[in-house]
Amino acid sequence: MHCNSIADLNQYCDSLKSDSQKNQIIISTNATCCLLQGAREVADAFQEEIDRQGLADTTQIVLSGCLGFCEIEPMVILTDQDILYQKVKAKDVPQIIEKSILGDDVIQRLLFRDPVTKKRNRNRDLMTFYQKQNRLILGNNERIQPTSIDDYLAIGGYQTAAKVLFEKTPEEILDDIEKAGLRGRGGGGFPVARKWRSCRKAESEDGVRYVICNADEGDPGAYMDRSVLEGNPHSVIEGMIIGSFAVGSHEGYVYVRAEYPLAVEHLEQAIRDAESMGFLGDNILGGGHAFRIKIVQGAGAFVCGESTALMASIEGRVGRPRAKYVHTVEKGLNQRPTVLNNVETWANVARIMQIGADEFRRIGTEGSPGTKIFSLVGKISNTGLVEVPMGITLREIIFDIGGGIPNGREFKAVQTGGPSGGCIPEELLDLPVDFDELTKVGSMMGSGGMIVMDEDTCMVDVARYFTSFLKGESCGKCVACREGVARLSEILERICAGEGIEEDIDTIKELGEYLADSSLCALGSTAANPVMTTLKYFKHEYDEHIQDGYCRSGVCKGLFQYEIDPEACTGCAACSKVCPTEAILGERKEPHEIQQDLCIKCGECYKACKFDAIAKAHVSEVVV
Amino acid sequence: MTETKDGKRGSVLVVGAGIAGVQAAMDLAESGFKVHLVERNPSIGGAMVQLDKTFPTNDCSMCIVSPKLVEASRHNNIELHTYTEVESFSGSAGAFQVTLREKARSVDADKCTGCGNCVAACPVRQVVRVQDIFELEPNEETRAVDEIIDGSGTNREALIHILQRVNATFGYLPEDAIRRVALRLSLSFAEVYGTVSFYKSFSLEPKGEHIIQVCMGTACHVRGAAGVLEEFENRLSVEAGGTTDDGKFTIETVNCLGACALGPIVVVDGEYHGNMSLSKVSGVIDTYAKRAS
Repeated sequence: MHCNSIADLNQYCDSLKSDSQKNQIIISTNATCCLLQGAREVADAFQEEIDRQGLADTTQIVLSGCLGFCEIEPMVILTDQDILYQKVKAKDVPQIIEKSILGDDVIQRLLFRDPVTKKRNRNRDLMTFYQKQNRLILGNNERIQPTSIDDYLAIGGYQTAAKVLFEKTPEEILDDIEKAGLRGRGGGGFPVARKWRSCRKAESEDGVRYVICNADEGDPGAYMDRSVLEGNPHSVIEGMIIGSFAVGSHEGYVYVRAEYPLAVEHLEQAIRDAESMGFLGDNILGGGHAFRIKIVQGAGAFVCGESTALMASIEGRVGRPRAKYVHTVEKGLNQRPTVLNNVETWANVARIMQIGADEFRRIGTEGSPGTKIFSLVGKISNTGLVEVPMGITLREIIFDIGGGIPNGREFKAVQTGGPSGGCIPEELLDLPVDFDELTKVGSMMGSGGMIVMDEDTCMVDVARYFTSFLKGESCGKCVACREGVARLSEILERICAGEGIEEDIDTIKELGEYLADSSLCALGSTAANPVMTTLKYFKHEYDEHIQDGYCRSGVCKGLFQYEIDPEACTGCAACSKVCPTEAILGERKEPHEIQQDLCIKCGECYKACKFDAIAKAHVSEVVV
Repeated sequence: MTETKDGKRGSVLVVGAGIAGVQAAMDLAESGFKVHLVERNPSIGGAMVQLDKTFPTNDCSMCIVSPKLVEASRHNNIELHTYTEVESFSGSAGAFQVTLREKARSVDADKCTGCGNCVAACPVRQVVRVQDIFELEPNEETRAVDEIIDGSGTNREALIHILQRVNATFGYLPEDAIRRVALRLSLSFAEVYGTVSFYKSFSLEPKGEHIIQVCMGTACHVRGAAGVLEEFENRLSVEAGGTTDDGKFTIETVNCLGACALGPIVVVDGEYHGNMSLSKVSGVIDTYAKRAS
């Protein structure tokens, strides 16, 4: 149905409310990672069983987007019974229906066992993973099927935009956003209201202004934006409608990574549906505001997440950043005033206008109100997307929500801010997370990647990894970045190969300063952050690599060797079974031994040993 | 113009203000000759200013050439004649008579500061440019390109989208297809080629039957993706980015697939394999080696 007025919309929404009293089975099949773990098969099994037993009148399956807890997918939530089952397989489905939906039983073996409390928990309120979160943006994912605009309307969607369009002036919207203190969630943390105001004020020769949603989520280890687009694309569109009205724009773009096919698919459908309902078009809800959105797919260039490079890419050009003497809010896409915000920011806009600026300000800190979504990944028990109020400490995120480090290993560092960020050591874990605090210790908020590292992660290797990533992604425009990062990468490769020299440390520091001073865009000026922060907090590891030729974490091949402690070895043969080169010899129940000349240092035996009998040691002198 | 002892005149005409012409003009001017530097294009610098680096030292080409251009334009002994062509010349060494045609620039070169405001203000955007492309005999590739362009229009904005579709059709971008795109969009071949080589998702070479993508995101990296990649490379005897000799497999790396809970992760022909370890690699290869593409 096409809504020509706000009355049409209200009438349509009322008609939706009648049939939502069924028992809901929530399964996340509309997110890439859940699909990979077999959520689709589970959903199909439920559907088949419900049809077979004729339960369709009372039970309904909700195929939702990302529910956040990737580690325990596919998970199934039964709303009436208030039960969450983890790692469900298709063969578990008949039992779940019989015991928990038709009966009153809880299947213990499918409940989540909390790594912190060691208890099996029945629902999310009892799980430490969810307890400390505030799912302002992600919370709606479980209530809707992302491909259904009716679902979004049923939870109040588009009604905020409609209200704002009819009841507020653009100035009032700007005031509200300013009062809420919303800062850009893409990493920089620039005040959104100030950006919008400059764009609204900027002169445009033909009155054309653009709003763009940056969905080019290039930071490795970050997938918040993907989950929002996959799980709730309408919330981004609604935010953009409000933003376009506030700055006086009629054309919008979403620039999305081509690596996210499902996000593109959902967004395309969402835009089509919003157009046919009259939320996008030449005369939105008959109120006179015109706004349309186009999708542009990226082509695999990290630097295109930078504002000016992104706009060049939309224009069909090579994505190289330009100097910003003239800001993009004055001359951006096609030389017209342009507002660029990231996915999470746009989703926040709609929420702020819905709950009000005062309510929003109650969450988070004075300087950084609201919540932030992080992808908590790496060496962590509870991998997943977590949405936390700003100001929470890193320790709470990693050890309470994240459940700490798996396999009894020690925490070493957490990396935030992607390739431009830095590594934060144990002693700074009580730092409150907001835009300003993280910058103070040499890292940054970034778009929200949070990669946890344990004792088996080599910090020199991490610095090498990020630097070599940036070497490949530098667009080549500025000499400092093109040549400087390449030299930095060469030095780190050398240190990791055990060929580092004392002077390397000084050279790295010098290069780092040059990079920060003489690059045009943030890619170059922050490129040295990973190596500078690891050097600041983990200098001893650099020293060990250079002076002793030793990598304590067992990552840099050639700088360590695996050794079996004959006292601890029980001769279980678990190690020799997994060794791909058959380098481990030994009789059953007798201590085993590693043939160093055959060992490729893959670490499979180290992971397989249950008795801590395999250790990383200095390379022994080769006897010729 | 000064007459020398033997009746020869002391001024020199240098035709073409590329790097060679500019250098020659400067050397002559430094030796005390009056130099007329003629260039057909509106600006001096020639081809070298379009290059990124120079062989064999990989020096930045603009860093070498731009100071020379500035010097040439300011030198008292050099008179620039840009946008000018040589019509005819006569005479013999020492006393040539040359006729130059200076094309109408419609701008007072003495007053122009090169601020660029006029370019921005000009309402005519469609610049007619010299095409370095030729009409190709229609073949399978150009026909596929035409079909895609007919659906998307010939705006510059559509370039990347068109290239993505062509890349998806052939698995890579054949040269004929790139030439056809350039012709249809009124862009130079170099411009389209530059765009193709900038973005990672375009390939200039055909790929294997099965494409193995190893995720190198940070989360996968700390969980040992480098080892998994190495194992694939060793087992297939080909480095990342390359294709096996029998054309069966191509190994690629991707920056992040955003499925970090399953790291290290490998995608073969769009099918995901999570929690990879070295021991699983051979199994994955065997599965696809048996399967037809």
